[in-house]
Amino acid sequence: GACRVSMSTEEIRAGFRAIKANIQSRDPIRSLSILSHPHSLHKVQSSDRCCITHQLFTFYVDKVFKHCRTEDSFVNRKISSIANSFLSVRRKLEQCREQNNCVCGEESTEKFKQILANYEGLNVTSAAMKSLGELDILLDWMEKSR
Amino acid sequence: SGELYCSLPNPRNVHFESTNMKNVLHWSAPEGTGDGVLYKVKYAVYGVGKWIRKAECRNINRTWCDLSSETSDYEEQYYASVKAFLNGTCSDWMETTRFNPLTDTKIDPPMVSISSTDRSISITLTAPEKWKRSPEEESISLLQVYPGLQYNVSVLNKKTKKRWFFSISNNTLVVPWLEPGTAYCVSARIRVTTPLLDSGFSK
Repeated sequence: GACRVSMSTEEIRAGFRAIKANIQSRDPIRSLSILSHPHSLHKVQSSDRCCITHQLFTFYVDKVFKHCRTEDSFVNRKISSIANSFLSVRRKLEQCREQNNCVCGEESTEKFKQILANYEGLNVTSAAMKSLGELDILLDWMEKSR
Repeated sequence: SGELYCSLPNPRNVHFESTNMKNVLHWSAPEGTGDGVLYKVKYAVYGVGKWIRKAECRNINRTWCDLSSETSDYEEQYYASVKAFLNGTCSDWMETTRFNPLTDTKIDPPMVSISSTDRSISITLTAPEKWKRSPEEESISLLQVYPGLQYNVSVLNKKTKKRWFFSISNNTLVVPWLEPGTAYCVSARIRVTTPLLDSGFSK
């Protein structure tokens, strides 16, 4: 069966919109995107969309949020609220995987390998801040392909 | 030719103004400069990063530049930058923040057409179209861009000042049980919940 996860991206969107300019201004690298390099995340139309979503939520929880501390307490609070939303969605996606409804095909494996390579191509703080600044790319893709 | 020594004050408030994904770059003239300032504009796709000069906005004296064509792929994000020139000197390049056409555009109100019987009103709503290069180009409704697009409709009884609100996803609404011979005012707006985008109400 399909993997159906109820989640409200509105809350995540609102949190991100509040810190978007601040976070993106900390990322001076225009020529590289973690999620969209070399091919746009939007080009990924595969049937294993659930797998990519799960991999990306795991990526943000395990590799991004923890490296995104700033000197601004307002920004930090928004980041941790977004992180908590990601944690709860990932838990739901995990249940799908356990029920075998979240198959990982070649396309998602290849795409996620590219994302990790983009991430590891930068130092941790820059990579994490850039990834956080690309949250709207992830949300746009998720909502478009809902 | 080598780059000039740039001592001119910078253009200010360089930003995109976008409606229905017609994306126009705007800025303010450098402080303290009168007439005669000319500008150059360039833009870049985020993740590609190669700056591309906008030929039609080279050595212009206006303080806007239409980049709709260059930023029409709303699955990408963009930067744009402006440089000022005056009397042989220049400013630094001044950049926008990262521009996401999908979340950073404004949406016009829907078109509202109405037919009525003596006791009901039938309302048909049409979402605006995405900006397009020419009339011949295929039209894309913003309904296709934002699958979660909804309409908020308000119906006001002008005599009793009683008002009803409706929130609908499809584009037609029939309001029954109205009072014959009474004037009603219908107004509608578009609501996209995520990303959060609200149009104004139609006249």
